[in-house]
Amino acid sequence: MGLGDPGPSSSTNGYPSNTVSVNGNGVVCNGHVATNGTIANGKSNGVHKLHRKSVMRVDLPGTMLYDDDDSFVNREEFVRLVIQSLRDVGYTESAKTLEAESGYLLETQEVAQFRQYILHGHWAKAEVALTRLGVHDEASLLEAKFLISEQKYLELLEANKTTAALYVLRNELAPLDADSDHLHMLSSLIMCSDPDDLRQRASWDGTLGSSRHHLLNNLHRYIPSSVMIPPRRFSTLIQQARLYQRSRCLYHNPPSNSTAFSMYTDHQCNKSALPRLTTTILDGHVDEVWNIEWSHDGSYLASASKDRNVIIWQVPSSHDWTTHLMLKDHPYPVGCLAWSIDDSLLLTSAEHFIKIWNTKTGVCLRTLEDHTETVTALAWLPDGSGFISGGLDRKVVHWDADGKLKESWGVTAIRVTDLAVTPDLTRLVTIGMHHQSLTESSAPPRPPGDHAIYGPGGGGGIGPSTAPRSSNNRLIVYDLATKQVLTSVRMEGELTSVKISQNSQFALINHSPDEIHLWDLKAGRLARKFAGQRQGRHVIRSCFGGIDGNFIVSGSEDGKVYLWHRDTGALLEVLPGHGEGSVNSVAWNPRHERMFASCSDDFTIRIWEPMMSETADESLTDAGGASMAEGFDKGKDRSRQQEQHWNVDPATNHSGVSGIDGASS
Amino acid sequence: MGMSYRRYLTGERIYGCSKCKTHLAALHSMVSRAFNGQHGRAYLFKFVVNVIEGEPNDRPMTTGNHTVRDIFCCKCGTTLGWKYDRAYEPSQKYKEGMFILERNLLVDVQ
Ligand SMILES: [Zn+2]
Repeated sequence: MGLGDPGPSSSTNGYPSNTVSVNGNGVVCNGHVATNGTIANGKSNGVHKLHRKSVMRVDLPGTMLYDDDDSFVNREEFVRLVIQSLRDVGYTESAKTLEAESGYLLETQEVAQFRQYILHGHWAKAEVALTRLGVHDEASLLEAKFLISEQKYLELLEANKTTAALYVLRNELAPLDADSDHLHMLSSLIMCSDPDDLRQRASWDGTLGSSRHHLLNNLHRYIPSSVMIPPRRFSTLIQQARLYQRSRCLYHNPPSNSTAFSMYTDHQCNKSALPRLTTTILDGHVDEVWNIEWSHDGSYLASASKDRNVIIWQVPSSHDWTTHLMLKDHPYPVGCLAWSIDDSLLLTSAEHFIKIWNTKTGVCLRTLEDHTETVTALAWLPDGSGFISGGLDRKVVHWDADGKLKESWGVTAIRVTDLAVTPDLTRLVTIGMHHQSLTESSAPPRPPGDHAIYGPGGGGGIGPSTAPRSSNNRLIVYDLATKQVLTSVRMEGELTSVKISQNSQFALINHSPDEIHLWDLKAGRLARKFAGQRQGRHVIRSCFGGIDGNFIVSGSEDGKVYLWHRDTGALLEVLPGHGEGSVNSVAWNPRHERMFASCSDDFTIRIWEPMMSETADESLTDAGGASMAEGFDKGKDRSRQQEQHWNVDPATNHSGVSGIDGASS
Repeated sequence: MGMSYRRYLTGERIYGCSKCKTHLAALHSMVSRAFNGQHGRAYLFKFVVNVIEGEPNDRPMTTGNHTVRDIFCCKCGTTLGWKYDRAYEPSQKYKEGMFILERNLLVDVQ
């Protein structure tokens, strides 16, 4: 700010007449003129130094910033943080004035000196100063001294003053250090060939780097924060407020380039930005659509259908969606899809077969037949090195990127119904039905040749128990590297889908009846439940979506799409539109945070986006998911065929068995 | 309608479809081995899984008239036997709701 700015101010309200825009934007606020975002350099402009002594200390009663509310903001703390902020950005005169007017100092002379000693490498003086900074506990003092000596040692080594460094090592570090491993590491650094080698091996960026600042930040741990305030403390607090407001913002989904945060008001995103309107209906399958997945670049959508085909749809840059490829030749209905990390390959599964397709040409490169029962999950490793498949045969198999069998995990404890790899590549999360092995069975064997007849009315008590509805379902989390079981949790109800949050902390698990669980993998406990959707006997899937995975979206057996706010569990939308049957799966576009897709028993896929215009009539959005742009194939005959069961051709099977029936006595 | 996985049974002996190994019934829900089907011996079960039922029709059996439905393996479509909807003879009423599986179409599975 200009100490040399001309002109006295005649302003009486504390603002100068020569306003200067700070950042060049937004100088008008709420219709008022120009005080917003301007510097008020006030009467003391240009005469600060001369009149410093004339700044009057203002004595205020009490210790709180405001004594008439219960916010408990301590005035001294508040003012000292303001002083720190002012100094940080270079408003040193204002900081001095505030210190004078309030009577509070950012820090004592001793702290300021200590800071300078560290930053200038005056180690002996720093050690002396340290003892005057209120470090009461002897152990803390020793640890702080160790850190200082360590820096000193490294700097001496870097400067090639080996003898002096050795002296520090023997006389200062060795007597202080209890952790001999660390000391060994430090002493081994003497062997470093050159300063570059030293810096790399010590993970230290050198005297001329930020290492001294880094040391100072580490020393904060031992010095009371009221004596030496942690760096940028105000900014830290504001960041916390920002995170809190974001977590409470139900519709938070700003475009990724927008900061969308102002301290002037609490943050709140507009509901109109939520994708809740069908903008396209993709109509190309001739049977139920069971699964969908976006390519990682967000420009293709693959769909898997009971009609035994996979379609790859291309997201339009301007107008209509098009069919990029139709992948045929699956011997059974298709259940799973997985794009390779670079999107060049697509895995599909149909019953126990896995197929690998080239996504440019549509050529099937390989068919894998290692599984003996239905493959229920395909997951690429985040490093692109290969993929993992899981199936109802209880097998988990690790394949390389070309589809060569790398390693079979053997037979696991559950019939796997879904699995996922955490993005940090540390865990494999599997869900499924617990398998009871034959040896565990306690039922006595029946005698051979038993012709027991159960008479009419059932002879009470001897009737065979019907096979129990399996309620022994499990979540099993493995360490990906060692294959050790980290967690094995029994869950009530069938588990049909698992997805992992981007930060690798949470697993989202669909769960019958009618629940979705957010499981905290780190804490090993249930974090939240989402309720509202219908799930009984079908495979229903859900996913995270939007900026930072703020939303949870799920299919449902009532034909609607359910959308929740992740952090509060609030149900935001129940989106109608799909026809009869279940919405089987949903997928949020990984690149376009305001677009997701859903697929249904009604043979179609719906693309959901926000209203075109943020100012559009709100009522339009509530028109029951009316489509604004119907997909192609609109005129096609959509009459539902008679319900077909899985892979049954009635024509060949109705050659009636002319029942002969039993010789029941 | 909708996607669902086949059911899996547990127990000391599980009978599956001889063509595709799909689980069908467990020994502990078997009621009788003394039946005959189109391909010879057949078993009567109280409970089966993974079958699709055909349309009902009336058939004369050795024990009288019954309304039955053919049952098919849900994976490979093989006709496996039938289900009793209704027995006309009072002595045969106990079979209503039960299933016949032809022994020659079954294999032991796990
Ligand atoms: Zn079969």
